[in-house]
Amino acid sequence: MDKSLNYKIVTNNPRVKENYKEVIFIDGSFEDVLLRVRDLVHKGYELISHPLGASIRVIFSPYRSIIIGKKLNEINETHVEIIESSIQSYRNLMQRRKPDTKNSEDYAFIDNELLKSSLEEFRRIYIN
Amino acid sequence: MKLELRRIHIKDIQLGNETAVKDGVLTVNAEELINLLKEDERIKDVKIDVARPGEKTRIIPVKDVIEPRVKIEGKGKGFPGVTSKMEQAGEGKVNVLYGAAVVTVGDIVGFQEGVIDMWGEGAKWTPFSKTYNLVVDITPVEGLQPHIHEETVRLAGLKAAEYVGEAGRDVEPDEVLVYEMGSHAEESKKYPDLPKVVYVEMLISQGLLHDGYVYGVNTQQILPTLLHPNEEIDGAVISGNCVAACDKITTYQHQNNSVILDLYEQHGKTINFLGVILTPELTTLDGKFRTCDYTAKLCKMLGADGVIVSEEGYGNPDSDLLMICKRLENAGIKTVLITDECSGWDGMSQPLADTTKEAVAVVSTGNVSHVVTLEPADKVIGDDKAIATLAGGWEGCLEEDGSMKCELNAVIGSTSEIGYHYCTAKLY
Repeated sequence: MDKSLNYKIVTNNPRVKENYKEVIFIDGSFEDVLLRVRDLVHKGYELISHPLGASIRVIFSPYRSIIIGKKLNEINETHVEIIESSIQSYRNLMQRRKPDTKNSEDYAFIDNELLKSSLEEFRRIYIN
Repeated sequence: MKLELRRIHIKDIQLGNETAVKDGVLTVNAEELINLLKEDERIKDVKIDVARPGEKTRIIPVKDVIEPRVKIEGKGKGFPGVTSKMEQAGEGKVNVLYGAAVVTVGDIVGFQEGVIDMWGEGAKWTPFSKTYNLVVDITPVEGLQPHIHEETVRLAGLKAAEYVGEAGRDVEPDEVLVYEMGSHAEESKKYPDLPKVVYVEMLISQGLLHDGYVYGVNTQQILPTLLHPNEEIDGAVISGNCVAACDKITTYQHQNNSVILDLYEQHGKTINFLGVILTPELTTLDGKFRTCDYTAKLCKMLGADGVIVSEEGYGNPDSDLLMICKRLENAGIKTVLITDECSGWDGMSQPLADTTKEAVAVVSTGNVSHVVTLEPADKVIGDDKAIATLAGGWEGCLEEDGSMKCELNAVIGSTSEIGYHYCTAKLY
């Protein structure tokens, strides 16, 4: 899909690894995914999708997939701010909570579904 | 546009041989309702139950809450574009079974929460502990894909509310509320000196279990759009969001959107209310930029002096909320934000996932991380497994006597970002 789109999915979700070719797979936690995205954004990669989900429940997910774009000539400061504040919020939120691993499979499924919607949205914005 | 909401006060729900309202008691023929819902071949089984205020009953996992109503005059039956033919909503006379609610439960994924306790500590936090709830528990046929399952439960809830609402067709209302507003030109002529205020209502629009609909259109697919306030309180907007229990806007809350009703109350007195802009919360940053630019542009074109923005959810929508605020304040439009806080068990952490210096007027609707203790219930309607999810948040959250600690984020409507709830802010 999306031959003209240049993107990669940073994910720790095995289901996403199976379903997509454009994957940077992180053998680690949700937070490890955020940290890798932060490193890439600091190197100049464009942040395509927001690092966090839209509800607290989804932030308890053990899995997260985030879309990044091509490497730009300059670092995008807005993107840096977004990923840095997302990491801070994630840590705040998880102070006393642990990822909900009992429902891992369902979270892997929903993460994959939300990623699919995000990619469709990305394609609508760039291709239409 | 003129809409009459004619409230019939409901004082109890009973299951019986007919579906009717008599002396404020709503009787529901469960068998007839079950047969109606089972006309959808995707539904294998339906269970109907009643939960009354004060009973030691817990409902979980709640998917949506809907107010039963019937339109007795005017176009647009039920939920136009969803359960009935497309018509414009917002005009006519509607009989409302006020005090009753249809509550759908169904575990689409294992981690769903969303609890309504009808008694005790839990009841204090959810507005739906005060309504007489007709609970519709839907089991789909095996092998249904989750997004079809979600749609099936969503439609069944709306259909059930329509079916029950029909019982109020010929009943005289206890009170009649009239919502009438003309064109911007007409209203501005009537109230030339009052400040013009727009309400921006943000909706989670991000995919499975994270959607909202306007006239049946998934809001993922819309640009921000202008609604007459009557359209929303007449069923044009419905919820497809079933994960963020504490701050999701249920269909019931769209039908009774407290920001709209409060702005209506002030219309012609302290403000000139211009209408509602429905704004999707998308997932991509470019999508968010487009949405926020477009929302600010609509507010500017309308000539708003002030804007009230309500959020749905937590996390990435915080960015939209603040980007809209920044754009409006920079355009000289005074902006008030309504949002809940995620500020830790002690309430001391930074409350939002994002900040901006332009956000100078923010109404908090509560801390989603606040911990409450829920006592054991005598009766559970729905799925016991969901309680395990609710109780599985951290070590020590389950007490020996069976009571459990949970964060407010698990309680339906507890930190409603449109203010349809019981939390108030206290100044120190």
